[in-house]
Amino acid sequence: MLIFGERINGMFTDIGNALRNKDPKPIQHWAVKQQEGGAHYLDVNSGPAIPTEERVEAYEWMVNVIQEVSDLPLVLDSTNYNAIEAGLKVCKRPAIINSCPAEQVKIERVFPMAIQYNAGVIGLTMDKKGIPKDSENRVAFAMELVAAADEYGLRMEDLFIDPLILPVNVAQEHAPEVLESLRQVKMLADPAPRTVLGLSNVSQKSPDRNLINRTYLAMAIACGLDAAIMDANDDDLVDVAATAQILLNKSIYADSYLKVFRSR
Amino acid sequence: MSVALVKERYTSKVGEVVLGATSEQGGTRTSTITVGGDSALPFLHFEGELKNRPVIAMEVNDIVPAWSESIMSQFGDVLNNPAVWAKKCVEEFKADLIYLKLNGADPDGENRSPEDCARIVKEVLAAVGVPLIVVGCENDEKNNEIMAVIAEAATGENLLLGLAEQDNYKSITAAAMVHKHTIIARSPLDINICKQLNILINEMGLPLNKIVIDPMIGGLGFGIEYAYSIMERARLGSLANDKMLSMPMICTVGYESNRCKEANTSAEEFPGWGDLQDRGVLWEAMTASAMLQAGASVLIMRNPAAVRLVQKNIADMMSK
Amino acid sequence: MALTGLEIYKQLPKKNCGECGVPTCLAFAMALASGKAALDTCPYVTAAAKEALDSASAPPIKAIKFGKDSVLGDENVLFRHDKTFYHPTTLLIRVSDALSDADVEAKVQEINGLEFDRVGLHYSIDGVAVVHESGDAARFEKVAGMVAAGTDKSLLLLSSDPAALKAALVPLASRKPLVGEATAENYEAMVNLAKENSVPVILKAEGLDALNDLAEKAQALGYKEFVLDPGSRKPVETLANLTHLRRLAIKKKFRPFGYPVVAYTSNPEPLDEIMEASVYVAKYASAIVLNTSTKAHILPLMTLRQNLYTDPQKPIQVEPKLHTVGDVNENSPFYITTNFSLTYYSVEGEVEATKIPSYILPIDTDGTSVLTAYAAGKFEPEKIAQAMEASGIADKVKHRNIIIPGYVAVISGKLGELTGWKVVVGPRESSGIISFAKSQLG
Ligand code: SF4
Repeated sequence: MLIFGERINGMFTDIGNALRNKDPKPIQHWAVKQQEGGAHYLDVNSGPAIPTEERVEAYEWMVNVIQEVSDLPLVLDSTNYNAIEAGLKVCKRPAIINSCPAEQVKIERVFPMAIQYNAGVIGLTMDKKGIPKDSENRVAFAMELVAAADEYGLRMEDLFIDPLILPVNVAQEHAPEVLESLRQVKMLADPAPRTVLGLSNVSQKSPDRNLINRTYLAMAIACGLDAAIMDANDDDLVDVAATAQILLNKSIYADSYLKVFRSR
Repeated sequence: MSVALVKERYTSKVGEVVLGATSEQGGTRTSTITVGGDSALPFLHFEGELKNRPVIAMEVNDIVPAWSESIMSQFGDVLNNPAVWAKKCVEEFKADLIYLKLNGADPDGENRSPEDCARIVKEVLAAVGVPLIVVGCENDEKNNEIMAVIAEAATGENLLLGLAEQDNYKSITAAAMVHKHTIIARSPLDINICKQLNILINEMGLPLNKIVIDPMIGGLGFGIEYAYSIMERARLGSLANDKMLSMPMICTVGYESNRCKEANTSAEEFPGWGDLQDRGVLWEAMTASAMLQAGASVLIMRNPAAVRLVQKNIADMMSK
Repeated sequence: MALTGLEIYKQLPKKNCGECGVPTCLAFAMALASGKAALDTCPYVTAAAKEALDSASAPPIKAIKFGKDSVLGDENVLFRHDKTFYHPTTLLIRVSDALSDADVEAKVQEINGLEFDRVGLHYSIDGVAVVHESGDAARFEKVAGMVAAGTDKSLLLLSSDPAALKAALVPLASRKPLVGEATAENYEAMVNLAKENSVPVILKAEGLDALNDLAEKAQALGYKEFVLDPGSRKPVETLANLTHLRRLAIKKKFRPFGYPVVAYTSNPEPLDEIMEASVYVAKYASAIVLNTSTKAHILPLMTLRQNLYTDPQKPIQVEPKLHTVGDVNENSPFYITTNFSLTYYSVEGEVEATKIPSYILPIDTDGTSVLTAYAAGKFEPEKIAQAMEASGIADKVKHRNIIIPGYVAVISGKLGELTGWKVVVGPRESSGIISFAKSQLG
């Protein structure tokens, strides 16, 4: 189970300000803190904080300042592929591109870039028309991404399918469909692509967000979730990830397994 | 047409452990031995580096052992002198290192004092230049006493000391830390306890590269398959970056195989089993070979004839 | 094994015409993968694609049967802990046709004697490989006939000369021998000969690439009863090839390699040869051809084979009845243990070594060890008391002492109460029995 720390995102005020003021401290603070919490990768998203034309440069700067304090690999999270490419150029370890929907034009831009920089790809089960309601159509999009990976020569393990969870308070019916999609995606190819979720989305604007996150994470891991973009500093949530991994016999049990999960 | 082979991409490798210390390193060994460090499954040279070949430690006892005649006779008259015995193992049988088992410490037997035990360790150290593995008797309390004294007397030698077990690991771990030795962490054919014990020892402050795992094997025909699978899983774990299972593994091949009836019973008693001579040798050698295929790094052996076969088998497997 | 969407999609024509009822080939592939559609609904799939899809759903390694109940292949895993290994390595002893008649007969006799009993199991050697080395086809035919007459075990007939093989094979076809070897030079004749006689044939090539070519050509002859030989005779290379072949078959369902593999030993010294063979038993040979046929050499190898092919989920058990060790009498000690074969035979071995004739009663614990059985409630005093009753031990000994494993000392009181016998707590490990017997029974 891989944890992609979500905190370096321009949507958060401190990161937004840091980007505007070119102040590396808050970004570096969260890089270190998320690593300590148990993150395996750091998601990097400039968000709306800075104007589009400055994003390429901002991205490169973010990657560099993070790499000054952390050796974790990065998940480059942007809709601006030029910004991602700028980030990929300076990444020291193989990164993951976040993200690519099941649209031919974007596939043609993203997959060759992933091959060129030895990067992974998060593939979204949606197209221009948006997110499907049911699992069947989500899986159909996933299949297109799988076929694309096969065509471009991206290893299946480097393709992360994200079946897109929506907030439960407004789109409750999606939650079980996403779980079903996770199960089905594993049957699309052998070796199967990996799966990922932007976990925190499920609890947007609900009270007791942590409980919802934890419960849904456990359910999703049981359905085949391999990675989550999530709060790496919610200790209980990280404990759920570690425990689910043990209960699925994916890593070898020892009484101190929680400690081991964090002390890599 | 050329075939696209399946080569596993492992994210990590078996931990590397150095045994013994030369004079520059604070000991008196003429050479050290490094085990582990492999980044592939056993002997699969095509998918990674097999950095250090597996080694054989020959067993020496501080009292004359009750081994089968066919083994004892190969040693001649050295069995009542551990230092001379050890020298013979190294010079004549080309043992990579010596495993000194101090059965004489047993309170129900000779009841040797810790100082006596330490003196024997020193004598063996003086007689050979190879690294030493030192293990006590069957009595935990007594072992803690003798190991504390031995660890101190051989400070800096980087002995491989045994045994740390789940309910008795603290004293030996502390002794190893203070006096710069490496330890054997033994678990009873249980991969979960094996991992937990490594965690506990590591938490006391002993680095992971000072631990060797003893999974407690069974002899050929008597449960060897349990150890085989546990060791394969541990080896796969270490290649998949399970740091707490990534230490090199040591196997008590000589002890376990020679406990088996097939290694001891004469052809007169069991005509159906064929001659004892080759059967006994192969029983020990094949126990070793199975453990090598499962990922063993150190084999503790007794029978010089079996040692020769295993040396040849290792050479076969390591030749590229 | 079910096919994945991607595997199916790759075989479809990618016209996206929608005639199958769903809009795209991709969607059709997924419908097929989930069993919601049939391949026939697409009018454009080629015969080759159909064939590929059919064979992809076949087992990863074909089962090849020959001789007397020999089954090669049909394995599904790379590690026994993933499930189990199914068909123990078939061991064949080599007999050269260059030997004299007397030597052939002596060798066959020795091979027939390779039958062993240990820990309640019976092992017997699987068969004989008759090898054409004399250069004389008539001699090969004669020796094959002699061997066949001398043993009912499985046969492998090995010659690179199709005519010589034919002469030897035809009279023995009813024995369904495995034959070989087909090479790039002679494969048409060899494979057709095997096909006519409905026997499996070994395909031999130097290296995996050449073997792949040969397997594809041989398959094109419309026959599928093959055993592979990647040609290597250096142990470490053979290990690598055996691993590659098994991995490609299982992880990639690579059809040309979806057959069992035979290995040949190369070490001239018999003990070294057995060590070499142990590597191939552990790592993926479905058959091994050996030179030595000495009992003392074959028993350890067959023991290893039995150990590694034991299903990890199904421990071997002994019959839970009263067993005797030595010439028992009314004073013989009485031990209790479990019916897990490993536990029982460790105890039996040590009891034997005490040289005191004794009774051992293994309790039916579904083949678990003492500690596991106790933890699972399968080694309870009530159950032991019942088993003692049923065994009639009370009439066989005068004394009233039960020796129980040290790990279950806690049941002493209850067991004593239930049986009225004196419960003696024995050692925890079987290795302590000798010293226990010395001090307590001596
Ligand atoms: S009928 Fe065949 S070719 Fe046409 S869309 Fe369906 S699968 Fe594709």
